Amino acid sequence: MKSVMITYDQAFQERIVETLTYANCRGFSCWPQVQGRGTKTGDPHYGSHAWPSMCSAVMTVVPDERVEPLLARLKALDEESPMLGLRAFVWNIEQTI
Amino acid sequence: MSLYESAVKRPIMTSLCFVAVIIFGVFSLAKLPIDLYPDIETNTIMVMTYYSGASADDIENNVSRPIENTLNAVEHLKHISSTSRENVSVITLEFEFGYDIDVMTNNVRDKLDMISNQLPDGCNTPYIFKFSTDMIPICILSVTADESKAALYKILDDNVANPLARIDGVGTVSIAGAPKREINIYMDPVKMEAFNMSVEQVSAAITAENRNLSGGQFDVGSNTYNARIEGEFSHPSQMLNIIVGMNGTAPIYLRDVARVVDGLEERSQRTFTNGEEGAMIIIQKQSGANSVAIANEVHEALPRLQKQLPPDIKLGMIVDTSENIIQTVNSLGETVAYAMLFVVIVVLAFLGRWRATVIICITIPMSLIASFIYLYATGGSLNIVSLSCLSIAIGNVVDDAIVVLENVTTHIERGADPKQAAIHGTNEVAISVIASTLTMIAVFFPMTMATGMTGVLFKQLGWMMCIIMTVSTTSALSFTPMLCAEMLKLQKKQNALFRKIYGPVEHALDKLDDAYEHLINWAVRHRKTVIWGCVCLFAASLLCASAIKSEFFPANDNARIGATIQLPVGSRVEKANEIAERLTSTWKQRYGSDLNVVNYRVGQAGEDDTFSSMSDNGSHLISFNMTLVPSNQREIGLARVCDEMREDCRAIPEIAKYQINMGGQQAGGGMGGQSAATFEIYGYDFDATDWVAQALADSFRHTKGVSEVVISRSDYQPEYQIDFDREKLAIHGLNLTTAASYVRNRIYGSTASQYREDGEEYDIRVRYEPDKRISIDDIERMVIYNGKGEGIRVKDIASITMRDLLPSITRKDRERVVTVTATLMDGYAMSEGVEAGNAILDKMELPSGVSVQVAGAYEDQMDSNRELGTLLILIVIMVFIVMAAQFESMTYPFIIMISVPFAFSGVLLALFMTGETLNVMSMLGGIMLVGIVVKNGIVLIDYTQLMRERGMGFIRASVVAARSRLRPVLMTSLTTILGMLPMAMSHGVGSEMWRPMGVAIIGGLTLGTLMTLIYVPSMFCIFGGVGIKRQRKSLGRKRELNAYYQIHKHEMTKSAKK
Repeated sequence: MKSVMITYDQAFQERIVETLTYANCRGFSCWPQVQGRGTKTGDPHYGSHAWPSMCSAVMTVVPDERVEPLLARLKALDEESPMLGLRAFVWNIEQTI
Repeated sequence: MSLYESAVKRPIMTSLCFVAVIIFGVFSLAKLPIDLYPDIETNTIMVMTYYSGASADDIENNVSRPIENTLNAVEHLKHISSTSRENVSVITLEFEFGYDIDVMTNNVRDKLDMISNQLPDGCNTPYIFKFSTDMIPICILSVTADESKAALYKILDDNVANPLARIDGVGTVSIAGAPKREINIYMDPVKMEAFNMSVEQVSAAITAENRNLSGGQFDVGSNTYNARIEGEFSHPSQMLNIIVGMNGTAPIYLRDVARVVDGLEERSQRTFTNGEEGAMIIIQKQSGANSVAIANEVHEALPRLQKQLPPDIKLGMIVDTSENIIQTVNSLGETVAYAMLFVVIVVLAFLGRWRATVIICITIPMSLIASFIYLYATGGSLNIVSLSCLSIAIGNVVDDAIVVLENVTTHIERGADPKQAAIHGTNEVAISVIASTLTMIAVFFPMTMATGMTGVLFKQLGWMMCIIMTVSTTSALSFTPMLCAEMLKLQKKQNALFRKIYGPVEHALDKLDDAYEHLINWAVRHRKTVIWGCVCLFAASLLCASAIKSEFFPANDNARIGATIQLPVGSRVEKANEIAERLTSTWKQRYGSDLNVVNYRVGQAGEDDTFSSMSDNGSHLISFNMTLVPSNQREIGLARVCDEMREDCRAIPEIAKYQINMGGQQAGGGMGGQSAATFEIYGYDFDATDWVAQALADSFRHTKGVSEVVISRSDYQPEYQIDFDREKLAIHGLNLTTAASYVRNRIYGSTASQYREDGEEYDIRVRYEPDKRISIDDIERMVIYNGKGEGIRVKDIASITMRDLLPSITRKDRERVVTVTATLMDGYAMSEGVEAGNAILDKMELPSGVSVQVAGAYEDQMDSNRELGTLLILIVIMVFIVMAAQFESMTYPFIIMISVPFAFSGVLLALFMTGETLNVMSMLGGIMLVGIVVKNGIVLIDYTQLMRERGMGFIRASVVAARSRLRPVLMTSLTTILGMLPMAMSHGVGSEMWRPMGVAIIGGLTLGTLMTLIYVPSMFCIFGGVGIKRQRKSLGRKRELNAYYQIHKHEMTKSAKK
C-alpha cells in the first residue's frame, strides 16, 4: 500500500476527484484550504491580501500497482495548465486497520 | 456555500432571480408618474377669511393678526405671511420641506377651531386651501362660442368646470371671460325725480310683482284643489309693463322711467386668445398633486365634456404645463440612453472582448431597473433628479462587475476551468468589491438624511444610488460570476476583422501605459515638484472661483411667460385692452412662429371667480399668459425673450408697473424661475418702509444687469369718499346706513329679485343708467328720500372728497413687509444682484424701526449651502472611516482624501470655462465626485500596497502598480465622464437644468483623475519614505536599548533579585 499526497490549486478540485475516480482510487481525505508555496516557481497560495489564492490537498491510500497510472494522469493534468500548480508525493504505508 | 458559489452552481435560479427583479422594475416603471421635480411644492397652505365691509386696515387688526398669532405655533412652520385686503384676509403658511401636508392641514384646522370664537361677529369661518396664490395654473382651456355666448358661463360652469374640479388633485377651476347673464334695469334719474320715485321703490315693486305663491287648498264638491298664483315673469320684457307707482291717479309703468336690458354683467373680465375673444377655463392644482397626471385626466375628459356641450361651443387647450414636463423627462431619458451607449463603447475598447462586454453591460439595466421598484414603492416619480441619478449611476454600476470579471479572466488564463475560476476569482475580490461599494454608499447615504429643500432633492437621489450600488454589487458577486462561468472561455486567437478594428486601440492603450509608466517614474523621483505643482493648481482654481457666479437653481426654460401689466390705478378697461392689443401685435410680429399662444385678460373679475379674486385684479390690470415653442425648436432663450418684453413695456409711457414672469412664476420665487434678488423691508410705518422700498428700487433701476424692479406693495388706490354730515342727516330724518345704501343702490345697483328661466336664476339689478353715474356731479345730484317722502340731494348732506387708500396690507412673520424684487437679465446671476442690493443698502440710512432682509431664492440658497456644507463634512468623515477600516491605516485614507480638493478645482475650472453657475445642481455633482475620485485613489493605493506586500520597494511598487492600474482607473473615470457627456452637451428641452451638473462632474472627474494618477504615487512614496525612516529610528532605538541591556544585564537582574 502506498499513500499519495496531492497538493494543487483550488481550481483543480473537481478534476482531481475525477482523476482519482478514473484511476480506481476510491478512498481519499481532502483538506480544501491549505496554504503553500512552490519550491522553484509558482505564486504563493496564502489566502492573504497580497496572495489571495489557496491550495487544497488530497491524501489517498492505494495498492502499489495503482500508483503509477495515477501519477501519470496527474502529470498530464499538471502539464495541461502549468500555471495553476499540482504536485504529488508518494509514501509507504506501514500498517492499516 | 457562499453567495457566488451557489450562484455559479445554480445558474437557473440566479438568472431567474434577476429576471424577476427586471420584471418588477419594468412593471414599476410603467406605473411611475412623471414630474419635473420630486414632490417639492407640498409646503404651502392658505387660510382665507371673509369679513364683508371691513377695510384692509380692519382686516389686518381684527382678522389677520389674531389668526397669525395662533397659527404661528403650528409645528414645522417656516414663514407665515398674510395679505389683508378689503373684505378678505389671506394667510399663507409656508412649511419646512419634507413634511406631510395632510398632517399640517389638520394641525392648522385644529388651531383655527381654537380661534374661531375670537374673530369678530359677521366674519365667516376661515377656509383652508392646499395651494398658494402664486401657484401657476397647470392647464388653461380656451372656449369659443357663437349663439350660446349669453349663457356661456352657466353652461361652462355646469358642464365643464364642475366635472373638472372633481378630478383628484385639482385645486380650483375658474372660468374667466364668460360674463354671467344679468337683467339690468337702467333708471333715468331725471324722469324718476319728476315722478318723485326712488330706485328702492322700483326695486320693491319688481320684487313684489315677481312672485309665485300657493294660495292654499280648497274643496269643490268632493274634490280638493290647490289655489296657485303665478306672477313670475316669463320674459324680461314683461317687466316694462309693471306699475311701479302712481302719479296722482295715473299709473307709472316701469317703461316710463327705465329700460330693461337682458344682457351680461357690467363689470367682467374679457379674455383674448391670439387676438380672438373667448372664454377661458383655468385649472390650478393642489399642493403636491401631480401635474402630468391631472393634465392627462383633463385630456381624457375633454372629448367627453365636449359631447355634453351645445354644438357651437368648442373647447381647446391654450396652456398645458405637462407638455414641458414630459418633453423634459423624455430628453433626459435620451441622455441616459446615450450614456449607456458610451459606457458600452468604453468597456468594449478597454476589455477588447465582446463576451466580457456583454457580461458587464447586462449589469447596467439590471441595477437601474431595480431602482424603479424603490421609486414605485415609496410613491416617487420619474423626474429630473431621479433620471440624473440614473445617468450618474451608469458609469458606476459597471465597476464592480469589471473587477470581478478581470480576476476571473486571470484565473481562466492561468488554466482554471471557467466554473472554478468564477468561484475562486470572485472569492478573492469579494472583500474589495464590497469595500468600494461601501465608499460609494458612504457618499450617498448621508444624502438621505438631508433636510429642507435640499433634502427633498437629494433624499430620493441618495436612496436610489444606495439601492443601485447595492444591487450592482450583489449582481457583480452572483450574476456576473454565473455568466462568466457560462460564457467565458480561454481566449482563442481573435479573428482577422476583429484584430484589424481593435488592433489600433490596443496599440494606443499600450503606448499610453508606457508613457504613463515613464511619467510616474519621473514623478516619484521628483516628489516635491509634483506636490508643489498640485498646490499651485489648486490655488489657481480658487482664483477662478471668485469669477464664478452663483445662483440657487438654474432657470428652467419651460416655454411659458406670464406677465402682469398695470396701468395707472383707475384706468378704464378699454385703455387696458388697447395696450394689450398693441403689445400682442408687437410680440407676435417679433417672435413670429416662436410664439405659440398669447392669451390675455383685462377687466375686473366677477365675485365668483376664485382664481382672479385671490390675485389682484381691477380694470387697470392686464394679465398675459404666453406659450412659446419648446426650447429646442427656437434660437432665443426664454430669459432673453422676457428681457425684451420688459424693454417693450418700459417704452410704453401709459404702463405704470409691469412684471414679466419667466416660466409663469414669480422671479426669485424658488426653483426654475428667472434669478432675482429679493429684499424684504420690515417695519410698521408705511411711509418709512415705502421710502426705503422706493429708494432701493430707484437705485436698482440704475444698476447694470437689472431687468425689472417690482415693489410688492400695491399703489395707493384713489377713491371718492362720501362723507355724510351726521347732523344734517339727523335734521332730514335720515341715518348713515340709509343714506349709504341709497348711494350704493344707484351705482352698484340693488338686486331686486331673480329672473327664472329653465330652472336657472339670473339677478335682476336695478340702478342708474350707466352714463348717469360717471362724475362727482352725478353722485352729488342723487336724491335720497326720507321717511316723509322728501327728496334730499347728496350734495346737501355730504361732501365728496378724493383720497388715496392702501388696497392691501402684506405681513410676513407677523410684521408688515414690503418686498423689492430685482429680476436680473439673462446672463447675470443672483449673487450679483444681492451684492448690488447690499451695496445700495450700506449707503442708505434706514429709518428707525425698519429692517431689511435678503429673502426669496437667496434665503433658500443660503439654507441649502449650509445643508450641503454639513453634508460634505459628513460624507468626508464617512468615506474616511470606510477607507481606514479597509486599509487598517490612517495614512492611506489621508493620502486619498487629499485628492478630493483637486476634484473641486476641476469643478471650479470647468464652471469657469463654460460660464455655468455654481448652483444646487453643480454642487450636487461636486459632492458625488468625492465618491468617484476616492474610488480611483483606493484602486491605486490598494494595488501599490499589494506590490509592497509581495516584496517590492516603495518606488518600484508605485510604478508597477500605477502602470497596472492605469486602465481600470481610466475605465472607471471614462465610463462616468462619458456617461455625463450627453448631459453636459444636451440641448433638449430642460437641458439648462442639468447641464451644470454634467459640466461639474466632467470637469471635476477629469482633473481629479489626472491628478490622482500623478499625485497619489508620489504621495505614497513620501509617506512611505517617512514611515521607513520612522521604522528605522524606532528599530535603532530598540537596538540601542537591547545593547544597553546586554551590557548592564547583570546589574539590572541583580537589583531585581534583591
